[in-house]
Amino acid sequence: MSMSKKSTVIVENIRKKQMRESISAGKRLDGRSLDEIRPIEIELDVIKKASGSAWVKLGNTEVVAGVKVETGEPFEGLENSGALIITAEVLPIASPHIEPGPPDEETIELARVVDRGVRESDMLDLSKLVLVPGKIVYTIFVDCSVINVDGNLLDATSYAVVCALASCKLPVFEIKDDKVVETGKTQEPPITTLPVSVTTVKIGDYLISDPSTEEEACMDARLTITTNSKGSIVAMQKGLKGYFSIEDVKSIADKAINKGEEIRGKIKGLINIG
Amino acid sequence: MVQSKNLIDESGKRTDGRVIDELREVKIKVGLVKNADGSALIEFGKNKIIAAVYGPREVHPKHMALSDRCVVRCRYHMSPFSTDTRKSPAPSRRETEISKVIREALEPALILEDYPRAAIDVFIEVLQADGGSRCAGISAASVALADAGINMRDMVSACAAGKVDDKIVIDINDTEDKEGGADMPVAYMPNLKKITLLQLDGELNPNEFNTCLDEAVRGCLKVYEIQRSSLIEKYFGDEKEMKE
Amino acid sequence: MQEVKRKYVIPGDIVAEGNLRPLVNVFKNGNSIVATRIGITESNKDGAKVIPLSGIYFPRANDIVVGKILDHSSLSWSVDINSCFAAHLPAQDIFGRDFSPAHDDMGRQLSTGDVIVARIAIFDRTRDPILTIQDKDLGKIPTGELIKISPTRVPRLIGKRGSMIQTIEQASSTRITIGQNGIIVVSGKDKDGITLAINAIHIVEVEAHTSNLTQRIRQLLNVPESEIESDDTQNSEASDTTIDEDEINSDNSDKEMRMINPNGTK
Repeated sequence: MSMSKKSTVIVENIRKKQMRESISAGKRLDGRSLDEIRPIEIELDVIKKASGSAWVKLGNTEVVAGVKVETGEPFEGLENSGALIITAEVLPIASPHIEPGPPDEETIELARVVDRGVRESDMLDLSKLVLVPGKIVYTIFVDCSVINVDGNLLDATSYAVVCALASCKLPVFEIKDDKVVETGKTQEPPITTLPVSVTTVKIGDYLISDPSTEEEACMDARLTITTNSKGSIVAMQKGLKGYFSIEDVKSIADKAINKGEEIRGKIKGLINIG
Repeated sequence: MVQSKNLIDESGKRTDGRVIDELREVKIKVGLVKNADGSALIEFGKNKIIAAVYGPREVHPKHMALSDRCVVRCRYHMSPFSTDTRKSPAPSRRETEISKVIREALEPALILEDYPRAAIDVFIEVLQADGGSRCAGISAASVALADAGINMRDMVSACAAGKVDDKIVIDINDTEDKEGGADMPVAYMPNLKKITLLQLDGELNPNEFNTCLDEAVRGCLKVYEIQRSSLIEKYFGDEKEMKE
Repeated sequence: MQEVKRKYVIPGDIVAEGNLRPLVNVFKNGNSIVATRIGITESNKDGAKVIPLSGIYFPRANDIVVGKILDHSSLSWSVDINSCFAAHLPAQDIFGRDFSPAHDDMGRQLSTGDVIVARIAIFDRTRDPILTIQDKDLGKIPTGELIKISPTRVPRLIGKRGSMIQTIEQASSTRITIGQNGIIVVSGKDKDGITLAINAIHIVEVEAHTSNLTQRIRQLLNVPESEIESDDTQNSEASDTTIDEDEINSDNSDKEMRMINPNGTK
């Protein structure tokens, strides 16, 4: 339904004009500076039935992520790795512009970009999540439900996934008489790094970070860059029909590294890991 | 249905420590979803459910509109992490049926003739499921509808009663639902005294049925008090209720 | 002043008992008058009603609304009026009877995202509202700050005979266009004045049902008591009730009072 009239946000022209004027003067309509990220609130362990969970608020954007752990066959070609599956749904409760139904291309992109950051950073050492090599491995689902949409779902969802995973307690499975049994014990997840994404968009000639819904409705292009704890870039996604100059891209990467480190510090403090 | 005889102990306590006519702890927070026209988060025991209402609004596609009244659409959905075993995100047959009965439980309270050709969307998302999620969902949805300012004849309050160890108890929890003798969810308009949802799983003799119905209605009235105070709290803060 | 009984209600609550006339946001059930909305009751010898505190805007013929152009067909613009129906502005309203889609370029007159202040010319339950901008003070709004408030608060923001909004406009040196649909445009030369006006409007929205609101708004705006004609004085001592009679009344009665342009040019 993403093509229906209802699904597009139209910003009033007088408001658009104000936004452009304001941005060219270095300030956004909500009072933020151009590269300022909205306040991030994270509540852990909100879903007791999940092995780990996080409710993340990035401004008014709210996402809940929950970790569920099962056992199953490994993915083909990854026989000695646990399986990691990340999904996202933008719930119809979250915005007047969402219709219930199977995920549209934007939602699939959302889940895949978040997944890419976690997977390519090797956040979880999946080699430690194998029960019978080639046959039985841990299958880790991280499912995300978007509760309220106010722009930048990519980063909010990414923070929710990272927090839920980093704070989870994995159930311990064992093989007894050729059968998988749940021991009732839990273990710390094998976390190696904390990937953090930072999304910056271009409106006219200006780059702004962490866009709101209204800003997204006016943006020409979007670039999401995920960095790991060492400050290396591990995943990127450019979106929309606009473009960036090479200088733009380099400046966005610098921002992603610096802002990413700040956000990582916040997550680390919350979860108590090194 | 297999019945086990150890869900209520000698002192009359149930598996979660409640007595037979005691509700689990219920909390309702109004207006949590900022984009919605009305919303409520209900925590009912371990249930954690958000209901959000959009509308009355335009109907898409247009041919779905009714010329003399408003269309009500309802989706009850469980997040994949809400249950003990992960649930597939795709809607199940169970969710489709529950969506239908919830819609039909709410419709009698809505004055749909006031909004011809428009639609009201009620979305219920179960973030964490315990027993009785449909009742909790209905109660939250009713608060969200009132919050949205949709014309209503009455609130709708819901609570299950059932049979556990041959005793009639209210507000069946997950264990009692799976192992007990009967589960009967009821939705009720507390001022108009009308029943808008009635289902039963299990076996009740005529006497048990009568008691069960009375108990369920008493449970609904307890839920109603909590719905009421959540709305008063949001709209009138801690100002005292005005006297006549 | 006539005695008015008020209390807070939610849907299903009894507003009054006995042989009273059901007015708005209530229905009659046997001998009782029952609320259909969250709000504040008002009952007197004329009947009983509820002044609602939440709800969308439902169109009424002759209401002034602020709308946003969504797109256009070959014959009309479709306009978002923050309601359950999109409204239509016929091309003929601008081009006149000679309008021809082949010769007249609708996009040059109004395009997607433009904001207009319009009057609902025709509306009934069988079709979408039809707008007109062919009256004084109607048409495209070129500039200003947009604010959205609950449409249920609009009568309170206007105040009795426009008293509240005039107070805000005069003290902030702004011009405020109010749509009955809850969309408001604040314009003016002075940025601080605009900010002040927006703050005042937000306070009215949040505290619409509380007592002494006009007084608090005056304090915020630094308006001395004597300078403006008070609408509170007549009944401020009358009771502890929250709202001045008629002020947040959403009946038709106060509609023609003034929806737009305040500064008394009419």
